[in-house]
Amino acid sequence: MSRIRSPFRFLPVAVLGFPLITTILSCRKDKPEQPVETPVTIGNEHGVYITNEGNFQWGNASVSWYNKADGQAVEDLYAPANGSALGDVLQSMTLHGGKGYLVVNNSGKVVVVDQDSFRATATIAGFTSPRYLLPVGGNKAYVSEMQGNKLRVLDLAANAIVGTITCRGWTEEMALAAGKVFITNETRKYVYVVDPATDAVADSIAVSSGGNSIVEDANGKLWVACKGGGGTPPALCRIDPATLQKEATFNFAGSSANPWRLAVNGDGHMLYFLNGDVFRMAIADDALPNSPFIAAEGRNFYGLGVDPGDGTVYVADAIDYTQRGRVFRYSAEGVSINDFPAGRIPGGFVFR
Amino acid sequence: MRSCLWGPVFVLLAGPNGYGQQLPDTIKLHDVVITAPQRADFASGVKVQVIDSTALARFRFADLGNLLEQESPLFIKNYGPGSLATSSFRGGSANHTAVLWNGFNIGSPMNGQVDLSLVPVGIADNVIIQYGGGSALWGSGAVGGSILLNNKPVFNGGLTVEGGASCGSFGDQRQRVGISISKPTWIGSVDVFNTSSRNDFEHVNTEEHGSPKLRQQHAELAQQGLLAENYFRINARQRINARFWYQRNDRNIPPTLMEQSSTASQQDESCRATTEWQRTGDRVNSYVRAAWFDERLNWHGTGTDSAAFSRAKTLIAEAEVRIKLNNDRQRINIGLNNTYAQAISDGYPDEPRQNRTALFASCQFADRKRRSTTTVSLRQEVVGGDPAPFTWSLGSEYQLAHWLQAMANIARIYRLPTFNDLYWTPGGNRDLLPEIGYSGEAGLAAKGEASAHVSITAGGTVFQRTMDNWIIWLPSGAYWSPENIMNVWSRGVEMRGEIAWHAGTTTVKLGAWTNYVVSTNQRAKAANDASVGKQLIYVPMYSGHGKLSVAHGPLHVSVGANYTGYRYTSTDNRSFLDPYLLADAAVSYRIAAGKKCSASLLAQAFNLLNADYQVMLNRPMPMRSFQVGVNVRFHQPNAIKNIQP
Repeated sequence: MSRIRSPFRFLPVAVLGFPLITTILSCRKDKPEQPVETPVTIGNEHGVYITNEGNFQWGNASVSWYNKADGQAVEDLYAPANGSALGDVLQSMTLHGGKGYLVVNNSGKVVVVDQDSFRATATIAGFTSPRYLLPVGGNKAYVSEMQGNKLRVLDLAANAIVGTITCRGWTEEMALAAGKVFITNETRKYVYVVDPATDAVADSIAVSSGGNSIVEDANGKLWVACKGGGGTPPALCRIDPATLQKEATFNFAGSSANPWRLAVNGDGHMLYFLNGDVFRMAIADDALPNSPFIAAEGRNFYGLGVDPGDGTVYVADAIDYTQRGRVFRYSAEGVSINDFPAGRIPGGFVFR
Repeated sequence: MRSCLWGPVFVLLAGPNGYGQQLPDTIKLHDVVITAPQRADFASGVKVQVIDSTALARFRFADLGNLLEQESPLFIKNYGPGSLATSSFRGGSANHTAVLWNGFNIGSPMNGQVDLSLVPVGIADNVIIQYGGGSALWGSGAVGGSILLNNKPVFNGGLTVEGGASCGSFGDQRQRVGISISKPTWIGSVDVFNTSSRNDFEHVNTEEHGSPKLRQQHAELAQQGLLAENYFRINARQRINARFWYQRNDRNIPPTLMEQSSTASQQDESCRATTEWQRTGDRVNSYVRAAWFDERLNWHGTGTDSAAFSRAKTLIAEAEVRIKLNNDRQRINIGLNNTYAQAISDGYPDEPRQNRTALFASCQFADRKRRSTTTVSLRQEVVGGDPAPFTWSLGSEYQLAHWLQAMANIARIYRLPTFNDLYWTPGGNRDLLPEIGYSGEAGLAAKGEASAHVSITAGGTVFQRTMDNWIIWLPSGAYWSPENIMNVWSRGVEMRGEIAWHAGTTTVKLGAWTNYVVSTNQRAKAANDASVGKQLIYVPMYSGHGKLSVAHGPLHVSVGANYTGYRYTSTDNRSFLDPYLLADAAVSYRIAAGKKCSASLLAQAFNLLNADYQVMLNRPMPMRSFQVGVNVRFHQPNAIKNIQP
């Protein structure tokens, strides 16, 4: 034993000292940088709000802001202005009467903010899983719901739910045209038509299943993007809101296509949508575009917006959904301009 | 394989339990003690931690997640009391910890995980944590480490009747009753347990204006279960056993801090039956064993139309032979395992089935002076006709001095894609490859007497692991789909030390451990991915534990503290959860009433400092809470005439 022990008599020092020292030297700092959170007042600036969904159940929804004049991006307007988190899954934002209506899906609420200071002025609660808000005249607005087979009727003066409209399935984006409200449906193959005078479903127009976005073109016609499913193909459909008839259908080849985030430019002549890449289609075209307008090239395109003023195209990259996303700006001709960081899972663009 | 961390292949701490322990299964045969090595012994050079009996007694009413949170360096992703709890072992995912009940992997074939909140501590007589890559011994999933839950019968122990109950904060009530009859040739035991809790704890909602104090809603829990064991000694050399574990669990799933309310609930029901025949020879031990697991899960979401049912059945058959040669200086273990699994789920259009067959072998050598032990293990698994990665491990332990042991191990590790990864509709990807990698560690463990009254143990382990083809779900068209995308490099240092002072019936122990774990994604998942080189989410880089305990005769008092450092909640490491320090205290007192009866009283307090903390984002955790319990035991030895010659 003694023969073994003597060469190792310095071992206690080595055992205790060396790893300690190497550990200390090799250790990484784990404390993250705390972001500086100063409230930003937008004032009369022109730019775009970016709604960041955040992760389901993580409560990290936020709203980013991009100032068009100076190119400055603000990662979050809400938390610095209010000192609290916005909520869980920000599905959409609607500007109306100087206010922003933030529809927070999994928190079951609509948060009303001043569009300049971004301070919350009211919270409308009582929803199941709200998706989109559409003002339909006067102080009235409709809110679509993912669950519960109904639309909510809001009084925007009282900031309260004042009624419900039974409408089957998962109601999604809505548009007001020819005095009627047209409601896309993610789980049923119809666009439902609601008369805002009676707050009741007046008609339904067969399209494809998976209807998710709807825009009005220069001719006053409505375009609907449908993901397909349930035996119906992915498609773009054109509806005449006056006759309540589907006028044209552009089916995608193969069921793996996923057209969504349909947008239209300011003059209403050009449609844009996501299907992995960004695609562009003139409203007069008689076929779907074959090649991408902006190729994703490894990016995870999750949101799309077109500036109604100058036609600049904004594309949001959600990357891996668990880090802050990025927004890429392209000219109306598809030439890359710049990019900037946004919040977690950027999905929607609201221009002002 | 990175080499930079292998330079300082020095350790500190492996600690009181840090030796590569032999886990003898001792049986008495004609007054000759025959030590049957277990398969876990065929892992030289890895850190092994045996949870001590004091801790097991303290957590006898709790679940495995609670126990490991307090008593091990594993990070437990705990969604709240009674809610889902999964583990991160040395920076791995929840799929990278193998949980074995008497040698059978109880991970769900559907998601490859074990919800540790559904495993009561009382289901096992001992809990052993085997660190590091164990794929060559235990197969798929033994990546970060393995948790071994074993039942240890003692023949001719007599009659034991035991009953216990506890009650605690938030309407928490737990009861256990067990009876065990242990004859020279037969043991029969039954334990039943019942748990119910309202879990309506108060917490601070920091996400709301003014940080109001709220009461947790919709988190009620009810659990009932039964464990029955039978052991027969057929003759001096042969034994056979059968075990049966039934459990049902009904819990409500509380809302997150950002949800208005929740109506979601989950019901789990499982039946697990195992049997084993073994023959103990002078040189050759043989084992044949089988297990049947049937697990059901019923989930009801908050929405009106969201509900899911799934059921998985697993049949495992295994044969093993252990041979001792050369005066037990060489040991050989050869085994064959066949695992058949099938599942029904709303997510699977067909009823997926999978058959896996694995051949494994280990060879262990000790030198003539038995100063060193070296083990080589190999395993080849075939999954539905296709070979899984060939895995191996090589490890060694060397006694440098009577007080100092050095150890090192290197292993090939893998994890098979789960049923969800392969078959979920839509998205399941049948072309997925297994995750595969290397893991290695080296450590030193010291143990000595500083004086007649003071003993010291200390140790340290450096580890590292690379895992390639790491499976993650990413969007692909209209739905998400799993892909072999990530490459993760994990490395770290674990240190452990304890100083004990004993005099008479008094023992004072002061112990501590620290963990440093860096686990980073090494490959971009997409363009613009800022996660490369960044710590994985929910892997604390730093954590530590300290404990002071005093035992004086029948009285045992301990205070402990657990520190958990920053955990990132974004892959670019910009979002995070704050560190927390949880202090706890426990007092127990044992009363003997005559020779046959004894009782122990237990009182404990958790989160003594009233920390407002989150383990998982937006999942509230209780403030200070208390539990008191009592356990009564009646024990009558067998009459003398029953004892074997």
